[in-house]
Amino acid sequence: MLVIIVALLVITNVVTGLAVYYLAVPPRAGESITVIGPWAGSEMAKFLPVLDAFTNQTGIKVSYSIARQEDLKTILPVQFAAHRSPGDVVFMTSSFIKAQGPLGNALDLSTVVDKSAYGARALDPVTGTDGKVYGAVYTGKVKPGFWYRPSFFAAHGLTKPTTWPQFTSLLSDIKNISTITNPIVSGDGVGWPLSDVTEHFIATYGGASMHRNLTAGSQMWTSAPVRAVFANRLVPLLAAGDFSAPLTWDSTAIQGWWSGSYALYFMGSWITGMTPPVDSSDLDVFSLPPAPGVTGGIVFAADYFFIPTYTTKVAAATQLLRYLASAAGQTVQVSQGGHLATVLGVQASAYPTVDRKVAALLTGKDVLVDLDDTKGDPFQSNFWSQLKGLWTSPSPAGDLDSILTAIQSQA
Amino acid sequence: MSEALAGIRRSLRLPSLFRRSGGDQRRARIGPSARKTATRVVFLAPALVLVIFLVVYPVLQTVYLSFVTPQGTPTLANYQGVITDPTTVNPAGLPWPPPLGTLIHNALWIAIHLPISLFFGLWLALILRDVKGSSIVKSAIFLGMVTPMIVGGVMLRFLFEEGPGVVPAFFGAVGVPYLDKSWLIYRETALLGLIFGSVWLWTGFSLIVYSAGLTTIPKDYFEAAKIDGTPPHRMFFRITFPLLRPMTLVIITMTLLWELKIFDIVYSAVGSTGGTRNSADVLSLQMYRYFVAGATNPVYYGLAAVVATLLTLLTLVGTAWLFRRMVKS
Repeated sequence: MLVIIVALLVITNVVTGLAVYYLAVPPRAGESITVIGPWAGSEMAKFLPVLDAFTNQTGIKVSYSIARQEDLKTILPVQFAAHRSPGDVVFMTSSFIKAQGPLGNALDLSTVVDKSAYGARALDPVTGTDGKVYGAVYTGKVKPGFWYRPSFFAAHGLTKPTTWPQFTSLLSDIKNISTITNPIVSGDGVGWPLSDVTEHFIATYGGASMHRNLTAGSQMWTSAPVRAVFANRLVPLLAAGDFSAPLTWDSTAIQGWWSGSYALYFMGSWITGMTPPVDSSDLDVFSLPPAPGVTGGIVFAADYFFIPTYTTKVAAATQLLRYLASAAGQTVQVSQGGHLATVLGVQASAYPTVDRKVAALLTGKDVLVDLDDTKGDPFQSNFWSQLKGLWTSPSPAGDLDSILTAIQSQA
Repeated sequence: MSEALAGIRRSLRLPSLFRRSGGDQRRARIGPSARKTATRVVFLAPALVLVIFLVVYPVLQTVYLSFVTPQGTPTLANYQGVITDPTTVNPAGLPWPPPLGTLIHNALWIAIHLPISLFFGLWLALILRDVKGSSIVKSAIFLGMVTPMIVGGVMLRFLFEEGPGVVPAFFGAVGVPYLDKSWLIYRETALLGLIFGSVWLWTGFSLIVYSAGLTTIPKDYFEAAKIDGTPPHRMFFRITFPLLRPMTLVIITMTLLWELKIFDIVYSAVGSTGGTRNSADVLSLQMYRYFVAGATNPVYYGLAAVVATLLTLLTLVGTAWLFRRMVKS
């Protein structure tokens, strides 16, 4: 009888195990793939038409899943270790794709991606150390500068600055307006908007070369030229209370800015897709005034995507990848607003008016990759954390050196 | 076990599972203790297999990872890297404000959060003991405990945010402008904000345990003490508190373990960076960041394993302490 009980236990365990295994394997039949991306809310609403257009064209169904890239950094390596992937096409940071490719976790797309469709070196951030291309570039967003409401400026007799003294004078004038809490609002307590502002100061007053060197790690954050950008440009504004402390919620920042508690908001070109929505007809933007003799740059943050090695639908995923990396696919996206194409051949008429203004700011400036996105963790989270310290310090000048040293420690 | 089976068999009139038939000499030779052992093994085996594969193996693998390089070479560099990292212990930050290092931050959690939530739970349990309708109040307080801590963290962000937050608004109203600001953004206040905010979430636990404990103390003790003219504070220190000792031990240990492993509430309140300049950082969050960084540089997996090992050791010490105390009690 004991033998029977043992046999029964063994059989039930085996049956249960097999059932779990086979039920967990995704169905292979049918042309349906999953895309994982970071966009939710109105940003997602602007991305779904692209997937719909792809489905109409190919008949391949695409389901979209939202996942924060911070979360994917922990989820994907574990899934990959089990030779699985939660999605067939995944949007991730370039540093992640570049690292995972040579490990065998991303498909080699060297013969899939049409390199001639992009500008020179556009695929470098997703090219592994082995020279293979492991991802493609979707559309991108520019981080052009300070957004403002022309109606607010007109009501208070303010004008766009073209020199540094004009900029500081503008901030003083804004501070004198009774409704103003701080001239510039700092959104999202996580810290990424602060890194965008800081990069803008570096690219403008340190120049595009300094930005590139810091990204490559060939220049120290504690070096005299970098320190000078902070000490002479950013820190005096922080000490004067021109920036608000980082507000925890983006929506609070937008509401405060739109209602006149703050006059300027440094944000990327995706501002028109944020919540609560703003009226893009009453929206304009200016970059920091250039410094004489410095070749300035402007950060263009592209969205990167790749195909995990473990997808079972390589053909369909490749088809979608080609579409997203084509002028046809990106035209659908840019026409929704907030995005700029990375492939050649997208007509200017496809862009909404506000995005054409953004594109105009790129003229005469070097296009730069996003510094902290490219470097990834642990630099990125440390960078955000240290900048929050600078923003909230009672003595930004006094804390500057320790903050730059802390940033350099993870660079 | 066999007696229980026999009882069931009798009541259901089922044949014995282990009945010895006269012709089965081989089975008859198996003694009752051997059968008992075999039965235990059969029933324990599935659970043991699961524990070995899902608990023991991962723990051992984590300890192993902490002692090797990504290439598998034995090394102590991971331990050296974590211990000398200012994120773990930051003497330059002492005495205040943070960051003081994750190890010291976890110690501060224990030093501040544990006694306060213990005291509040006991105090509330005492004053609500014989109050009509107190179960409603207790349930309301216990809600904080039922709330997922990740939600609790988001609630703390609201509570401590300048403008919509109750806490800064209160200090603004009573004329303390230094505290009328977003507590979780400033490094002087972030850690304390999380600790004090968590008292509100955790007090429900000690309240419920102490309330249950109070019902087990016979009322005769208090009546006798009253007749003898014992003052209330003496009754508390001589009767109530000593008899609540087992509950106190459970609360201390559970709270201690929670504080050592604390992650979710900090993560959702101040983000994965551990707040401004890591001012509210804790060990679990440090481990998480190392793990995330491992995606781009596998060296960090080793560092994450070191923090996990240290956390496990600290947690084991707490658990061992509880068991020893409980056995003594």
